[in-house]
Amino acid sequence: MRKVAVIGAGMTLFRRILQETGKELSFLATKMAMEDAGIEKKDLDMVIMGSAPDAFDGIHLKGENLLDGAAAANKPYVRVFNGGGTGVFAPIAGWWHVASGVADVALVVCEEKMGSCFPHPQTAFRHIWDPFLDRPLNTNLVWLFAMEMNRYMTVHNIKKEDIARVAVKNKRNAVGHPCAQLPDENITIDDVLNSEVVAWPVQRLDISPPSDGASALILCSEEKAKKYVEDPITIAGVGWNIDSTMWTNRDLYFPRYVANAAKMAYKMAGIDNPRKEIDFAEPYDPFDYKELQHMEGLLLCDKGEAPILTREGVTQRDGNLPICPSGGLLGVGNPIAATMGQKVCELYWQLAGKAGKRQIPTDPQIGVGQAWGDIMQMGTVIVMKR
Amino acid sequence: MMSMKKEGYPKYAPGTHVSRKDIRNKNKTYTWWEPEVQYSWAMGPAISRFLQELKNGKIIARCCNKCDRVIVPPRMFCEYCYKPTDKWLYIKDTGTVETFSIAYLDGDARRIKDPILIGVISIDGASPQHGFMHYFGEMKPEELHIGMKVKAVWKPEKERTGAITDIKYFKPLKGGGK
Amino acid sequence: MTFLEKQTDPTSPMHWRGNMQADYLYLSGVAGDKFFKHLMKNDTFLATKCPECNKVFFPPRLYCEDCFCEIPEEKWFEVPSKGSIKLFTIATIDSYGKKLKEPKVIGLINIDQTDGSLLGVIKTDKPDEELQGVHVEAVLKPKDKREGTLKDILYFKKK
Ligand SMILES: [Zn+2]
Ligand SMILES: [Zn+2]
Repeated sequence: MRKVAVIGAGMTLFRRILQETGKELSFLATKMAMEDAGIEKKDLDMVIMGSAPDAFDGIHLKGENLLDGAAAANKPYVRVFNGGGTGVFAPIAGWWHVASGVADVALVVCEEKMGSCFPHPQTAFRHIWDPFLDRPLNTNLVWLFAMEMNRYMTVHNIKKEDIARVAVKNKRNAVGHPCAQLPDENITIDDVLNSEVVAWPVQRLDISPPSDGASALILCSEEKAKKYVEDPITIAGVGWNIDSTMWTNRDLYFPRYVANAAKMAYKMAGIDNPRKEIDFAEPYDPFDYKELQHMEGLLLCDKGEAPILTREGVTQRDGNLPICPSGGLLGVGNPIAATMGQKVCELYWQLAGKAGKRQIPTDPQIGVGQAWGDIMQMGTVIVMKR
Repeated sequence: MMSMKKEGYPKYAPGTHVSRKDIRNKNKTYTWWEPEVQYSWAMGPAISRFLQELKNGKIIARCCNKCDRVIVPPRMFCEYCYKPTDKWLYIKDTGTVETFSIAYLDGDARRIKDPILIGVISIDGASPQHGFMHYFGEMKPEELHIGMKVKAVWKPEKERTGAITDIKYFKPLKGGGK
Repeated sequence: MTFLEKQTDPTSPMHWRGNMQADYLYLSGVAGDKFFKHLMKNDTFLATKCPECNKVFFPPRLYCEDCFCEIPEEKWFEVPSKGSIKLFTIATIDSYGKKLKEPKVIGLINIDQTDGSLLGVIKTDKPDEELQGVHVEAVLKPKDKREGTLKDILYFKKK
């Protein structure tokens, strides 16, 4: 396998509704990544599109719909998706295109338009359930995550305020992000604890917002990358893993599939002790409790220990183990697949020292990004190195 | 050559924000679409039998002889042993609350005043943590807790249709649990 | 032809019925919004020209998919709502497979002065005539009835 480098990244504004079509959003993100890398469409060997369920955009054959905006016309092209896991899975697909040698330069574009679905993007999630057992109960996805959060809190005896700290940290971290939808410099734990209860224990400020947006990443073989960059940032390891779809037959307190994916990525990256060797992480945080569960799944701490590290300030941007320095989904927004912008582009910006106001001060060398999807069952992990 | 610049990336944030008011006032053009597609999903033998048994007021599971699981919802194969399951087994209509939520949000994310009590119930007679999602009733939201013993409340026989909703909800099981 | 076969017995207990319970609001996009807003007030179309390869996009686009460059404001221009038929078919069933009362001519129309085309209904007295290459013009809704969607174009007719 060849080593793969990241040479450019781009992302659009994230908002509840953007005027641009999916193609136009793809174009804007791709254009920024191309400018960053200093390449043109002719330099691209292959294009990978990541976009989550078709039901959001309401356009089936969504990959085909988006491709001309993703610089893919007359190129080898593929769309990949596994729900919320897509934002990290799409760059993994990009990685195998380049690592295998079939492409020297591959573009990864992720797009989501959740603003098209009415009465609410939640309606689209109905189409992801089992039609016989889950749908007749008029299930809302938030109910499922509320149940998962409740299980996690009960098993480890975690207080709600220790979970709310994550929302506060991430919305504050997002203040330095030009694309952010919900940055909030002044938010407090009380604001989260006093926000509307939508499905106990989930309150309104525990949840990331639905968003429109796109992001893009340009991958290149390490050899060729030296043509564009002095010290390329490389992908050191990738991993992915999925658990049984029968979610009512699993204990939801721990994401073992994330742990499996992390072990696969760490093995490839030659990481024996993730707690010591990893400098910062971008775990998937569509809900505040998910950041904590995913830190545990990524083996960055013991089961039930993540809320304690958060309380002690370890996960702050200037802490020992900065978590979600981008502002995460909670602060920057959650256009499902396009969260590649926080989970992978941010690793690149941080490792390259290009994160500006968001820059981790301690000169990070290794970062891990992770996403989570399908029906609480998919873990996708990427490790990047300077 | 890219250099380690101190300025922040992304350097700009392209995109045009549209408010709901813009849409209501038709400041932006749009096309409205209502999909009219109908589906008829094949349930397969396991779920078909499971729902037919609910119509009879019974909960049925499948057993895997290799891993010794009693599996509900039933399936014709064991996804872990990756072999066909071996036999049908009636189990009880009582169980334990594995987890729950008190939802003030309906399926379309509309706010509701009277909360929906929803959770996962592991069914007595099945393997640990084997069960399904359902509603709770005949209890106050504050009574609901993980580990609570509950029992199915069935619709009257005439109203049952062979659906998961043939069980109306689960209620507290008197004398059971902590 | 499996695709045309109908479900035999969807009410059997082996099946569960359902539908897609979501509606969609598709914003026209940045280029699309400009195109439709122009069409609401004018009887002409808008197109865009790539500054690098000179390809003329119809419907107009914000970017050239080949050169991958943004198309600037000054490369937007008006074209007549006319064109010539590139492809056509005579439809006897609607999109649900139901028989139409009268056959309908559907054509792909190359819009004049552009490299693009548009799908439209073609009104003609003789639906079986050879229509390839025939020049047609758009018949639009009265201006006060236009809503900024493709339905503002009622049909195309021979000039
Ligand atoms: Zn088994
Ligand atoms: Zn061009």
